[in-house]
Amino acid sequence: MLHAVAWFVWLVAALIVVSTTRNPLYLTLALAAFLTTARAIRQPNEPSAAPLAPGRFALYVIPLAALINALLSRVGETVLLAIPAAWPLIGGPITAEALVYGALNGLLLTALFAAFTVLNLAVPVRDLIRFIPRAFYPVAVVASIAVTFAPTTLRQMQQIREAQAIRGHRMRRLRDWLPLFMPLLTGGLERALQLAEAMASHGFASETATAHTGRAQAACHERSRMVSILGLLGILSGGLLTAWRQTFWGMALIVTGGAAIWGALWLTGRSVPHTTYRRAPWGYREWLVTGGALVAVAGFLFLGQATRTYNPYPALTWPAFDTFTGTALLGFLLPALVVGGHDD
Amino acid sequence: MRRLLRALIYGLTTAIGLLAFVYPVVMAGPATADGAINTPLLLAVVVGLSFVALLLEVQGDAANAKFVALLGILTAMNAALRFAEVAIPGPGGFSPIFFLIIVTGYAYGGRFGFLLGALTLLVSALITGGVGPWLPYQMLTAGWVGLSSPLLHPLARGLRVEGRWPEIALLALFGLGWGLLYGALMNLSSWTFLTGMGVKVTTLRETLRQYGIFYVTTSLLWDLARGLGNVALMLAFGAPTLRALRRFHKRFSFTYQPQAV
Repeated sequence: MLHAVAWFVWLVAALIVVSTTRNPLYLTLALAAFLTTARAIRQPNEPSAAPLAPGRFALYVIPLAALINALLSRVGETVLLAIPAAWPLIGGPITAEALVYGALNGLLLTALFAAFTVLNLAVPVRDLIRFIPRAFYPVAVVASIAVTFAPTTLRQMQQIREAQAIRGHRMRRLRDWLPLFMPLLTGGLERALQLAEAMASHGFASETATAHTGRAQAACHERSRMVSILGLLGILSGGLLTAWRQTFWGMALIVTGGAAIWGALWLTGRSVPHTTYRRAPWGYREWLVTGGALVAVAGFLFLGQATRTYNPYPALTWPAFDTFTGTALLGFLLPALVVGGHDD
Repeated sequence: MRRLLRALIYGLTTAIGLLAFVYPVVMAGPATADGAINTPLLLAVVVGLSFVALLLEVQGDAANAKFVALLGILTAMNAALRFAEVAIPGPGGFSPIFFLIIVTGYAYGGRFGFLLGALTLLVSALITGGVGPWLPYQMLTAGWVGLSSPLLHPLARGLRVEGRWPEIALLALFGLGWGLLYGALMNLSSWTFLTGMGVKVTTLRETLRQYGIFYVTTSLLWDLARGLGNVALMLAFGAPTLRALRRFHKRFSFTYQPQAV
C-alpha cells in the first residue's frame, strides 16, 4: 500500500504528459504504461467495481471522437467521401486527416481515463476522503457516513427483494418496484434517526457547544462568506470583460476572484481543528514512484520538445519518434515494479 | 442581511454558471484563435471555483447531527441506486438518482437538495471508481437540480395543488426538463474537449451549427431517455415518497436542549 500522495504525484505527472502531446506513438506508449500499472496493482481476489474498463471506454470514445471531428472539420487533402453540400448539418467532404485527428482526441481521452482508473484502483476510498479539504469538514463527514452505509443499503435491498419474492410478489411493471422501494426508503430514514441519536449522544455537533468556539466559528463564517462573495463578483465581472474583448483586465479580475475564493476556503479550513491519528509511512517505494513519475515528465518535456507535437493536417504523415523521450515515459511503470499485489 | 448575502451567493454562482454555459457557443472563435486563452481549462477552473464557493455556503447547514445523519443515509441510498444502474444499464442516459434529488429538494429545501445531489455523485464516484475531471461538473449540475426544485413551491401554491396529484405532475415535468438540461450542461464540459481545441470557428452561426452536430450525435437520445425516465419514476413513486419524507420531516424537526450546568 503506497502513500496516497505518491499516487497523486504520479497522476499529476501522467496528466501533464498526456495533455501536452498529440503524438500517437507517445500516447499509445503512455496508455500501455498506465494499463500495465493498473493490471499490476489490482488485487486478484477483489471484484472489479469499476463501471467501465479503459478498453470499453476506448471502443466507445475513439470512433465517436473521430466521427465528430470528421463532421466538424472539413480541411485536409485526402477526401474519403463527399456528402452533398446541400444536406443540412452534415454536408461537405469527409477527410482522412480529420478522422485521424478526431481519433487522436479519443486516444488522448482514453489515456486520461486510464490514468484516473489507476488512481481509483490504487487509493482506498478512506484515503480519498481524507483529501477533501479541511474547510469541507461537514461534507467529508457526510461522505464517509454514506460510503459506510452504501453496502448496507445494497444488502438491505437484496433482503427486501427476497422477502417480497417469498410472498409471491412479481416484478412486471414499474409500479411493482414500489413495495421494494418504500421499505428501503422508510428503513433508511429510521436508521438515519438512530444514527443521529447515536451521534448526538457521542457529542457530535451538539447544539450547546461551548459558546466561545461557537461564536468564533460564526464570525469566521461571516468573514469567509464576504470574501467569497467578493471573489464571485470578481470572476463574474472578469468573465464579462473577457467577453467584451478586454482580455487582460478580464483575466486579471478572474485570477483575483479565484484567489479570493481560495482565501475563503483557507479561512474556513483554519477554524476546523484537525489532528492526525496515524501517519502513513513514506518509505523508499514512495520515493521510487514519485521519482519515476518526475523523471518521466521532466524527460518528456525537455527531450521531447521536437517530437511531442503532431499535426495530421494538411496531409497525413508518419509521426516522429525519439527513443530517449519514449524511454522516459517508462518511468510511469515504477509502481508496477514496487507494488506487488501480494506483499500487504 | 444573512438571507440577502445567501441570495447573493446563489445568484452570482448561477450567473457565472450560465456565462460559462453560453461562453463556448458565443465566444469560441475569437477566444481560441491563436491560443489567446485556453477556453476549456479556463472554464473548468471557473466552474470549479464557483462550485467551491457555493458548497462552502451551503454546507453551513450541515452542522447538527440529525441533518448530517439524514443526509448521509439518503446519499448512501441514492449512491446505491446509481450502483445498481451501473450494474444493470438502463436505456440511454436513464439514471434513477435524479428522482430522489428532486423529491428531497422539494420536501426538505434547496440546500439539502443541493448537498444530496452533489454528494450522491461524489460518493458513487468513490465507490464505483469513477473519480475524474468530469466529477466537479457532475457534482455542480446535480446540486443545481436539488437546489432549484423548491422553486416549484410558489407554483404549486399558486395553482392550489399541494398534496394532490397535479403536484406530482408538476414534479414530473420538472424532472423531464432537468433530464434534458443536465445533458446540455454536461455537453459543455465535454464539447470543447471532444472536438479538440484546434478547431477554428469564425461565426456565431458556425458555432451553433457545430454545437448542433455535437448535440445530435452525442446526447439528444440519451437526454430524452433520462428525462422520460425521470417522468416515469416520478409518476410511479412520487406521491408515496413525498408522503414518507414529509412524515419523517416532523420526526426529525425536534430539538433537545439539556440544562446548562
